[in-house]
Amino acid sequence: MGKLVWHEYSRYVAITASVYTVWAGYFGLLYRKFFWDFVSGIRRNPGGIQPAKQDALFITIMVKAPVIQIISILLGLVVLAFEYPAPFMRGTAAHRSLVTRVVLLTFQIFFAIMFYQGTNGAIWSLVALIGYSRAIMLGEVMKDPKNKRGERA
Amino acid sequence: MGESWFRREFLTPRRLAFNVLFYGSHLFWFAYGWHSQYTNQKLAALNGLKFSVWTSRGAGLVLAYDGGLILLPMLRNIIRIIRPKLTWLFPADENIWFHRQVAYSMAFWAMVHTTAHYVNFINVERTQVRPQLALQIHYTQPGGITGHFMLLIMVLMYTTAHHKIRNQCFEAFWYTHHLAFFFMIGLYSHATGCFVRDSANPDYISTFPFYSTEHCLGYESWRFIIWPGIIYFGERVYREIRARRATRLSKLLVHPSGAMELRVVKPSFKYTAGQWLFIQVPDVSRWQWHPFTITSAPEDPYVSVHIRQVGDWTQALGERVGAGPSVVAALTQAAMKGGEKDEKDNGFSVSRGDFVELDPASGQRSLPVVRIDGPYGAPAEDVFNVEIAVLVGAGIGVTPFASILKHIWYRQRSGKLGSLRRVEFFWICRDAPSFGWFQSLLQEVEAAQADPNFLRINIYLTQKIGDDMLWNIAVNDAGAEYDPLTLLRSRTMFGRPDWKSIYGRMRQAIESGQYIPGTHSQLKTTVGTYFCGPTPIARAIKEATLENSSAAVNFTFAKEHF
Repeated sequence: MGKLVWHEYSRYVAITASVYTVWAGYFGLLYRKFFWDFVSGIRRNPGGIQPAKQDALFITIMVKAPVIQIISILLGLVVLAFEYPAPFMRGTAAHRSLVTRVVLLTFQIFFAIMFYQGTNGAIWSLVALIGYSRAIMLGEVMKDPKNKRGERA
Repeated sequence: MGESWFRREFLTPRRLAFNVLFYGSHLFWFAYGWHSQYTNQKLAALNGLKFSVWTSRGAGLVLAYDGGLILLPMLRNIIRIIRPKLTWLFPADENIWFHRQVAYSMAFWAMVHTTAHYVNFINVERTQVRPQLALQIHYTQPGGITGHFMLLIMVLMYTTAHHKIRNQCFEAFWYTHHLAFFFMIGLYSHATGCFVRDSANPDYISTFPFYSTEHCLGYESWRFIIWPGIIYFGERVYREIRARRATRLSKLLVHPSGAMELRVVKPSFKYTAGQWLFIQVPDVSRWQWHPFTITSAPEDPYVSVHIRQVGDWTQALGERVGAGPSVVAALTQAAMKGGEKDEKDNGFSVSRGDFVELDPASGQRSLPVVRIDGPYGAPAEDVFNVEIAVLVGAGIGVTPFASILKHIWYRQRSGKLGSLRRVEFFWICRDAPSFGWFQSLLQEVEAAQADPNFLRINIYLTQKIGDDMLWNIAVNDAGAEYDPLTLLRSRTMFGRPDWKSIYGRMRQAIESGQYIPGTHSQLKTTVGTYFCGPTPIARAIKEATLENSSAAVNFTFAKEHF
């Protein structure tokens, strides 16, 4: 009844998006594809798309070596450590920072949108990002969790 | 917590049966979908994609099955009609729980299906089994477009349906959940792109369903699963029509405790005790329907609900009818003062629950238009089928019992009690004064009892008591005819009830024939417990009922949900 606390809502979206991004990144290791390769690429039969010459850099970091996918997986895990939160994050100032989350999600979107499997994760991360931005605009503050079970003394 | 996950899921016969049927049927459809794709010679070209296509087809069929199931528990009117006949078969009161189980399953299989398709399409592009790019299938064909939309809708619906968000802002949940309309459209049209086919290009035709089943070899599952969707849509339309039937807010009473009682006259509205309804006040909010328990008995000439001003909507309603928080506070003070004065003058007070009627003529504004939708079921309808009814209300959960107690009282007066011989009413609450209106109702019912053994009221106050209050009780309680807190003849007890000993004593009394005169242990006595309130108490009571069931006494248990 009443007032939606945006950062609490965005947390659930961010968790969903990040879990999906990690999963997508894992499949991105197995089936490597540059999402934007259709831009001025040529379709070959068989073999599929042949990316344009100027895409060589992206092919190197996504198909030849799955750098972007690995970054996405790691970043997704970092977001999850923030959101879930991981025991070492609980109660820290970083954990309560909404701005940090917006930055992390921006990067998550940026990396996820580059590889084939990452689009859903990117779109959902965008939803979470909008939610967090709204939370910041409304001046929401994340409370210091009273329950510090995960924290070591 | 307490009981382990394994014990709960596998060692409870009913739950075990559910798990076997529910997850078994999911696995069956998955295997069947896989098998029918794997063995279909016409789809040999697609089978070149191997495991990913078998997985995606199996999971797709499971999702169709879930899509057909997900709306079934939401057919509220149909459930209300079939529930009394089928209580032995499935717990229809657990409809939201079932809805959630289907949703969880759907999320899992959607993940399987989507992952498999991302593999499928990249392989379609590489092998060129179809002269297309992966992204063309993902973002230009109906299957891909509806699929991505459904996933996004699912993210929004699932996250807003989280119990924390739902409690925080019901509106966010309520409005977002209506995306289900688009989700279902997406689900039914997911296969219209004719992706599963034995021809190079989709075989579209000009008549419904716009693809020929000769070459489009999907499961055609929409033919089966669209029916719950149509029925649900019809039910929503019917609810809308029914809500528009003549309804008049005849009276609005404000109780000193701050609760507003709305008395609505709607001749077309038929209900039984213990049911609830949705109420809408267009002046306050055009679209919102809020669930409330009916507090009048079917015999009453009106339908009443008691509304406490605790949330946005309820406070807005209070303002609208001219009984905002400030007005209520003033009324309460006046009433309390009046009560105290009476006490001094007459020696004992009669009632603390006197209400104030809001007179539309005196106010500037007339009473608002209200619409009600319902009634919807609750297990307490079957109180009259048992010999002894144990009614347990905890906190705000006492509300359905207002109607039931009134109803029992009416039936008692006309001598139509069925097999019901005795009623034990338990009310567990933290602070009794906040339920002033309920106290006044209990007073009426208690005062009307001719047989002192028929209805027993047990009130447990779980609040911590300060010194002042303790002395106050000690001074006022001794020798007084009425309990100082509730003004009932029954004494208030303090602390939490010990269910095991309560049920144990009840069983002994029944077995020795003391409890119901004339009933001896050769007859099996059924004691029905009807509970409404938080889960931990429900669990404790359920344990007590199971422990104390014997050859002569059968304890049953039913819990109501909101």
